[in-house]
Amino acid sequence: MALEQLSDVVQRCQVLSDDGYAAEDHDVFTIAGRTCIEEGNSVQVLSIVLDEQNQDIVRSMGWNLLPPLIQVLLKKEDKNLPQCLAIFNHLLETCRPKELLIGLLEQLEQDDPDPIAESLHLLLNPLQKVLLRLGSRKASSLGMTLSSVLDQVAKLPLPHTKEQEEDDVFSLCRSCTELTAFVRPFVHEVRLNLFNSSANGVFLFCSCMQTLTRPLLEAQLKDPDTLPVSPLRNFATEILNTLSAIGQSLSSLVFQPLLKRKQAPGFLEEEVRYPKESLANLAHLVFVHHLAADTFPSVFSPVFCLRCNMEHISQLSSVFEGVFPIAQELYEKSLVRVVDGSLPADLLQIKTFLTVPQNLVKVMTMCQRHDLRTKGLKVLQLSIDKFDTGAKYYFFQYMLKTSRHSGVEGYIIKNIRNQIDVALQPGNSNTWFQGVHLLPLLRKVLILPDGPETDLLQYLDRVMESLNLLRYLVIRDKVTENQTGIWTELYKVEDTFMKPLRVGLNMSRAHYERELHDTVETKKSKAKEESILSVAVGDEKLPNMTSDSHVQALHSALHTFDMIESVLVRIEELVEVKENL
Amino acid sequence: MTTDQELPMDAQSATAMFAAKGIDVTPSKDQGVIKVVKHPGLDGERPMVGDRVTVHYTGKLLTGKKFDCSRDRKEPFSFNLGKGQVLKAWDIGVMSMQKGEVCTLLCKPEYAYGPSGSPNKIPPRSPVLFQMELLKFEGEMLTDDGGITRRIKVKGDGYTNPNDGASVDVHLEGSCGGRLFDCRDVSFVVSEAEDKGVPLGVDRAMDKMQRGECCLLYLKPKYGFGSEGKPEYKIGPHKDIVYEVTLKDFKRAKESWEMDLNEKLDLAHGVKHKGNQYFKAGLYFQAVIQYQRIVCWLEMECGSGIEQQKKIQEVLLTSHLNLALCFLRIKEFSQVVENCNKVIEIEESNEKALYRRGEARLLRNEFTLALADFQQVLQVNPTNRAARAQISICQSRIKEHHEQDKKTYANMFQKFAERDAEFGKPKRRRDDNKRSSMNGEVGIKRRRRSQDCPS
Repeated sequence: MALEQLSDVVQRCQVLSDDGYAAEDHDVFTIAGRTCIEEGNSVQVLSIVLDEQNQDIVRSMGWNLLPPLIQVLLKKEDKNLPQCLAIFNHLLETCRPKELLIGLLEQLEQDDPDPIAESLHLLLNPLQKVLLRLGSRKASSLGMTLSSVLDQVAKLPLPHTKEQEEDDVFSLCRSCTELTAFVRPFVHEVRLNLFNSSANGVFLFCSCMQTLTRPLLEAQLKDPDTLPVSPLRNFATEILNTLSAIGQSLSSLVFQPLLKRKQAPGFLEEEVRYPKESLANLAHLVFVHHLAADTFPSVFSPVFCLRCNMEHISQLSSVFEGVFPIAQELYEKSLVRVVDGSLPADLLQIKTFLTVPQNLVKVMTMCQRHDLRTKGLKVLQLSIDKFDTGAKYYFFQYMLKTSRHSGVEGYIIKNIRNQIDVALQPGNSNTWFQGVHLLPLLRKVLILPDGPETDLLQYLDRVMESLNLLRYLVIRDKVTENQTGIWTELYKVEDTFMKPLRVGLNMSRAHYERELHDTVETKKSKAKEESILSVAVGDEKLPNMTSDSHVQALHSALHTFDMIESVLVRIEELVEVKENL
Repeated sequence: MTTDQELPMDAQSATAMFAAKGIDVTPSKDQGVIKVVKHPGLDGERPMVGDRVTVHYTGKLLTGKKFDCSRDRKEPFSFNLGKGQVLKAWDIGVMSMQKGEVCTLLCKPEYAYGPSGSPNKIPPRSPVLFQMELLKFEGEMLTDDGGITRRIKVKGDGYTNPNDGASVDVHLEGSCGGRLFDCRDVSFVVSEAEDKGVPLGVDRAMDKMQRGECCLLYLKPKYGFGSEGKPEYKIGPHKDIVYEVTLKDFKRAKESWEMDLNEKLDLAHGVKHKGNQYFKAGLYFQAVIQYQRIVCWLEMECGSGIEQQKKIQEVLLTSHLNLALCFLRIKEFSQVVENCNKVIEIEESNEKALYRRGEARLLRNEFTLALADFQQVLQVNPTNRAARAQISICQSRIKEHHEQDKKTYANMFQKFAERDAEFGKPKRRRDDNKRSSMNGEVGIKRRRRSQDCPS
């Protein structure tokens, strides 16, 4: 039935010229042709399509047959596969490229990972052929194709581990490799300045930028030691090569946040063309993975790179948590190249030099992943080491003011002690960590945040480090020399720190001893009731606390108070002895 | 000694060899960068701090191993000199070079890659050699249109610059064709320099300057005194001028991210007022800056609650409308369309936006689109007589256009012959008009309409 209709319409049209086909002819050809292929009559369709007399018809209407053909080709096991492939290839050579392109792109749209990868695999090569046939008229078509292809690639799930990348279950790696092959001839045309290369260049540039965000931003690239052959790393390298080949200087892109000229504020076009995340990822690929090492000039100063990367890091750490490891790596690598103790305090005038460490701290205190927390601490210390003494001083002040976390504050206080120790070494004296400047910093350290009511357990880290610092000062600094100024400040410290601490200790101890007493009493009376306390961490409810463990916790709290007190007493003794000398 | 020899050397003998033939160019004379000139420069000209310099270079380790070379990339390398963008040795070394000079720099690690080196390329604590050729240098262009060029005489300190709204203390020396016309100490608010008779270019350069910096600013008329000149300084129309500016001190204004929404809305009110003042005085560029500040502050705000949201949209809407009007005056028609589009996004049937977009499109010769805009204006407000008038203009233009087409195609061959004969005769009057009035000559208005004031 369909076959007869098809032969009829083809015969009718054979005598007409190219533009003489009626709309009805188109419809009949399309419907009948499609049905024939769907019903398995592709042998006959093939002979019609190949018939010398029908070439005009095929040229103008043939592309309508693409949907069922591609369905068969995607299925692979169909018995008509060879015929369909032959029809498909003939259409690609005969039909008009513009129409073919539309037909092919329609078939590219898929939603599930498997068909996405399969249709990319099948269609990228034909798309490339068709685009090449367009010659100099391809610019907008190339743009359209790239955008559809990238939308598809973006839907594929990313491999995370080395094994996943090797197995490539969802074919992202294969698709990326094929994408590289797909753009190669167009990049070549732009490089040789063939055809309409400026427009093509823009489309290629935009698609490179797009891939830098998706899929490459979240693809955690493996270094060559972990994975010697990595398709994703190759893909990233190819993207950078493409950028260079189409005349985009990688260094201007990487340093764009610092080098861009003044432009009208309030217009977002710039951000569309140079997405900030893409630029940041580019910096990450260059500085962390050392991709494009041969083409990237190595004469930029480490401080300049750091300054610029701070903008990228800040951008990355504001995106979402998944990208944070990248931000951290980029921060680390940018810092490593800088000479220790060389970053001046002026740099802290730049917003990102304060916000980036702050984000780092946020991750350190909140993040679920242990490795990120440890790495975070390492990078924080690295960044402190790179500051000169003045910058360290201001940085500590800033962190004490803003971090609001006992552990972090304790860590900073420990750093302050180290710096004082360095300053007191012969020949190392500086104006920041001794004498006049040191006192305001000490005043920020040697206090109890909430006076005697301070929760000593919550602030344990901070309190202990403060005590250690104070003990260090009274041991290390002689009353007669008073290099740190502690001996003239001591009466104030007693008021702001030691006395309230003692009161706090007494109050807390009384409270906990009472609590302990009560718990033990209740335990005796209600021996049967197992659990009495519910504990929750975050949103997760932990198993109810048994009264035994409650007692244990109370005991350990009391021990903690003992520990604090012993250091406090020791300090008081030292002060007494030294002052009496 | 040859500078490009491949023989490996140790640091000591290299230093000795270079010290014998070359000069130590470091300020502290610690032999950190020693230069041996291979070919001296052509003229005595040397680059200044901040200049965009272009070089070819080859970097080698003392072993002779090449680690980086601009010639291999087939592309010379450009950077801004003396700004810490490149290795210390480069900032110092290139500063000492003349245009066309070829030299070799021997650099100690402290002036190059430091104690850590560079991954995969330079081992820790390596002295390095750079063969340099200074191809060219030019003042730093501060705007994309090349209207402001800066050359720094004295580098400033710190990493902050005065932003829009900052108050600055500067010393100015303005000259034109070698004649000093203005020399004074003055304080002004960045973006409002006009109030103190300071030209736009100086104002716009502020956010690239550091405290203590002294620089020369070469201003094109658009950023100087435009097509009207400045009679009190005896400056004629369309003059290039030069300002020497010393930034003595400044106090930054709060950045967008440092302010909360209410603060922004409060400030926006005053800024809009300022913009309107400039507009009325015919200072459209200055007005644009003011309105754009508002857009910049509020563009990304969404506010909490409908009340606040409405308020933000209202302010944004007026700013975009005013921007459209300014751009209409400076004949940046694509910007007009863009701003009107933003308004229409917020409020679909905004009469003024539609009208202004229509005007811009008409002036861009997009008659059909313009016609559609004016027709929409009439739908919104049937009593808008100006729009009616514009519609008939559009229609006659479209007709004209058609007729011209018809004529062109009717006897094409004859036309071609004629055109060959009268080649070069001006035929696009409208475009010419547009061009001649680019440089701030914005006072001429052909039609006055009720819509024509900022709101």
